Amino acid sequence: MAPHPRLRRVLRAALTAGLVFGAAACAKEFPNSTLVPHSEFGRDIDYLFNILFIGGTVVFVLVEAGLLYTIFRYRQREGAPEPKQVHGNTALEITWTLIPALVLAFIAVPTVRTIFRTQAKAVPNALQVEVIGHQWWWEFRYPQLGVTTANELYLPKGRTVNFALKTQDVLHSFWIPAIAGKRDLIANHTNYLWFTPDDTTGAWNGFCAEFCGASHANMRFRVFTVSPQEFDAWVAHQKTGPAFGAPAAAPAAGAAPGATPSVNQVATSTAQTTPAAGGAPPTPAGPQPQVANVSTATFTMDQLPRHVLPSTPLPKGLSLSVTSGDAARGAQLYRTSACIACHKVEGVSPGVVGPNLTHIGSRTTIAAGLYPNDFKHLTLWIKNAPAMKPGSLMPALGKSATTPGGYDDQQVADIAAYLLSLK
Amino acid sequence: MATTVAAPPYVAAHGKYERGILSWLATVDHKRIAQLYLYTSLAWFVIGGIEALIIRSQLMGPNGRVVSAETFNQLFTMHGTTMIFLVVMPLSAAFFNFLIPLQIGARDVAFPRLNAFSYWVYLLGSLFMNASWLFGAAPDGGWFGYAPLTTRAYSPGLNIDFWVLGLQILGISTLAAGFNFITTVINMRAPGMHFMRMPIFTWSAFVTQFLIILAFPIITVALVFLQFDRFFGTNFYTTAAGADPLLWQHLFWLFGHPEVYILILPAFGLVSEVVPTFSRKPLFGYPVMVYSLILIAFLGFGVWAHHMFAVGMGPIADSVFGVTTMLIAIPTGVKIFNWLGTLWGGSLRFTTPMLFAISLVALFTIGGISGVMHSSPPADLQQTDSYFIVAHFHYVLFGGSLMGLYAGTYYYYPKITGRMMSEKLGKWHFWLNLVAMNLTFFPMHIVGLNGMPRRIYTYDANQGWETENFLETVGAFLLAISVAIFLYNLIVSRKRGERAASDPWGAPTIEWSLPSPVPEYNYAQIPTVTSRYPLWDKKSPELTREVPHTKAGERRIDVAMGGKQTGATIETPSDTRLNAENAHPSAHELGIHLPTPTLWPLCAAIGLTVGFAGLIWHERISIMILGAVIMVVSLYAWFLTPLEEAH
Repeated sequence: MAPHPRLRRVLRAALTAGLVFGAAACAKEFPNSTLVPHSEFGRDIDYLFNILFIGGTVVFVLVEAGLLYTIFRYRQREGAPEPKQVHGNTALEITWTLIPALVLAFIAVPTVRTIFRTQAKAVPNALQVEVIGHQWWWEFRYPQLGVTTANELYLPKGRTVNFALKTQDVLHSFWIPAIAGKRDLIANHTNYLWFTPDDTTGAWNGFCAEFCGASHANMRFRVFTVSPQEFDAWVAHQKTGPAFGAPAAAPAAGAAPGATPSVNQVATSTAQTTPAAGGAPPTPAGPQPQVANVSTATFTMDQLPRHVLPSTPLPKGLSLSVTSGDAARGAQLYRTSACIACHKVEGVSPGVVGPNLTHIGSRTTIAAGLYPNDFKHLTLWIKNAPAMKPGSLMPALGKSATTPGGYDDQQVADIAAYLLSLK
Repeated sequence: MATTVAAPPYVAAHGKYERGILSWLATVDHKRIAQLYLYTSLAWFVIGGIEALIIRSQLMGPNGRVVSAETFNQLFTMHGTTMIFLVVMPLSAAFFNFLIPLQIGARDVAFPRLNAFSYWVYLLGSLFMNASWLFGAAPDGGWFGYAPLTTRAYSPGLNIDFWVLGLQILGISTLAAGFNFITTVINMRAPGMHFMRMPIFTWSAFVTQFLIILAFPIITVALVFLQFDRFFGTNFYTTAAGADPLLWQHLFWLFGHPEVYILILPAFGLVSEVVPTFSRKPLFGYPVMVYSLILIAFLGFGVWAHHMFAVGMGPIADSVFGVTTMLIAIPTGVKIFNWLGTLWGGSLRFTTPMLFAISLVALFTIGGISGVMHSSPPADLQQTDSYFIVAHFHYVLFGGSLMGLYAGTYYYYPKITGRMMSEKLGKWHFWLNLVAMNLTFFPMHIVGLNGMPRRIYTYDANQGWETENFLETVGAFLLAISVAIFLYNLIVSRKRGERAASDPWGAPTIEWSLPSPVPEYNYAQIPTVTSRYPLWDKKSPELTREVPHTKAGERRIDVAMGGKQTGATIETPSDTRLNAENAHPSAHELGIHLPTPTLWPLCAAIGLTVGFAGLIWHERISIMILGAVIMVVSLYAWFLTPLEEAH
């Protein structure tokens, strides 16, 4: 590969390390940078980091310069007399004990103040979000709002959010580097973390930061910071029952025969979402999603910055023989499928083990941020999840030599079409 | 003392294991055991390095698919476990073994057979742990094995069984050695070897042993709990039964943080030997260097929870552990400054050991500074479990421990083997290592601050991590080349290296008065020590004139006593006959009684390991009984074998 652009990137990388005062320009190149924080908590941390970084740099320069000077100045010279034998100097040694102690006091005082400020109770009117870690995905609940979702977190800009962190199994750690510091999810404990996201509309990456088993690397999530109005619209949409329209998938499939319908196409087609029709399950009473809500409050693929678009390659040997599915047939299949044991679709299936699918069609990714949520990836995921994500607790549901009772490709496609229509 | 020429019992007792492989299996000579430790740990260093190269290959670019997630998790777990428990600790143990008796003027360690037992248990334990690869079930819970991931519910395979039991076996080895060395230092110092005259390496080793005997029981208890959970269904860490998983974390780090100092203090000690020699100056502030070692050890037990700032301990605990962690930077900083003070005004010779010693000062400083950066708990919330931490601990472990151990290896190689390592290859090793080490580990700081979590087997494109990861991988392969040069040098010099005089470096401490290699009995006559730098007293009295020799300003006594050839005598006939095969008189000729070589410590170690292996297949109680029987029989035979030859 050409060294030149790489060199440029190296220089840029070195520059970020230097630019601790937050060069917003770097945010694009380094989308997860902790040095350009996007919340007040993140800035508190960054403030301390700057003190530490400057102090550390001063110490580094002094020590290394002193070392270099010494080794050049005092290298052995021909015919020079033996060096003066100095065995110590009490005054000097006391000095270089006390100076670091003083320097550390300058770090300790703001540190302790920040600890107490950031670990105080969150303001009472904070948005409450329960974060529940699972091997290997994230469940997000908004108890004040009655919303449950997975792997995608919507936050209103400028409003304090208080996370209650819990885990269903092993330890995990909730980390959105570009926004704030992390906090672990500990079994039999509830941890808290609160911050106020800045007034920036954005899509951010979140990670699990505590090793949690096979797919620790694949336990990612997305955070969308949106305006309060968009947030309210998103909440209203999430509170609706499962959107499902039988015709939704068909035109999409018909419009592009042989091609995988992109999420965007599906999004456009479901804009005409109508209450359940045909053989579709009856949806519970309540407001149906409105066109405006879907398009403004959810991020569609073409709106997303590169860093939240997964590029995970598909494992070799996975394929599907059909290119479109029928959502209505999928809806029927779903109701009697193995899916319902683990997944919840409001009013349809009660499962609680896996992610809530009521509005899965409105999410941008599947498998905890590992793949884009589109027909191609979703079908393969349903067909053979363990092949797509190491250790996945979701079994392979497609028919294969080892799972002869599984669904054939058409059935898988139908279920996928149904799920994608759950906007 | 009987010094008859023909002493059949002596020859008979010794002759059995005089040469060949049996002489190594039965040896109780601390210098041979040191070599066993050295070569074994270097072999594991190669294995751990290969693991690192696979890890780096996988992470070279986004979405790497060199190995599977499961294999990757095994690789990083074993890389950490190997480098800590099978490389740095035993490599340090090689120096403890070789140097403690020589530096304090003793014939051997206090318990030579226990010493052999420690080594064999280490060897078998390390093989046991790595045997897991053959079952495709290497440990995969990370080197700190956080519960409840390591409990049976979440790790049903053999992987964690191998890890738990392997660490238990290795712990026995370490603890036995720890008690052995403490006893040796307290009881076997030569006349005049006051504590405040002890060579600084022995001091660091001595302090390290206390860390070991206090810290290892804690991990033993933590592992016993886990072992009971996994094998016998107890609920120490079973969260479903209400267990608090922080129990493991507190126990582990209460061991794990002192462990960090167990890894670094011996390297500090080696550097404190090397720097004065090549500066032609005494160590600056020897007493402060000793006190700072002790202070680091004390404080090291009070900072463990700084590994847990993200677990939500509350503001008070976070503040306390943050501040104690900052405090530990003070004695560590003092050491750095005192090394600088030693260099300052010296006449510096940049031999390979000196270069590595200086690079420890330079690189450990970086690790120390990043350490202070995450001593501040809020700042740590952005750093812990990210690549920033990975950068930090590689600067202290690779840039610290390993640089010190490299320095020590080049420095003491002539004393161990009687030959010098090639300076030319040494310089190549040094410069390549310096560049590659920084290329590998420095970008990890940046990528960590840019949000890359540690222990991920893959990462997505467009995260701003690609350039750094690519550079790190290039660095890792260059580092591998530098290690290859080092090992080549080490192996080839053994046969082809320049022959070493007794004191090739102009060093000040008494071990350099002995021929190279050291005769099996060490000192023909136990030396009397009058100062910290007896060899400089003898060879360059003008150097040490200004140095106070005792607190009361006692007159200097000759190191050599009564005109007899002693270990501390400098110009002896043996100098001229150096290294001519068996130039120095044998122990037998001198009438020195050495401990009998015996195979029983090895047998006891085998019994111990077999017993633990039986636990892996815990239904095979027969294997456990077999192991216990071997061990008990071996111990009886061991106790019944006479300590010294009849004479």
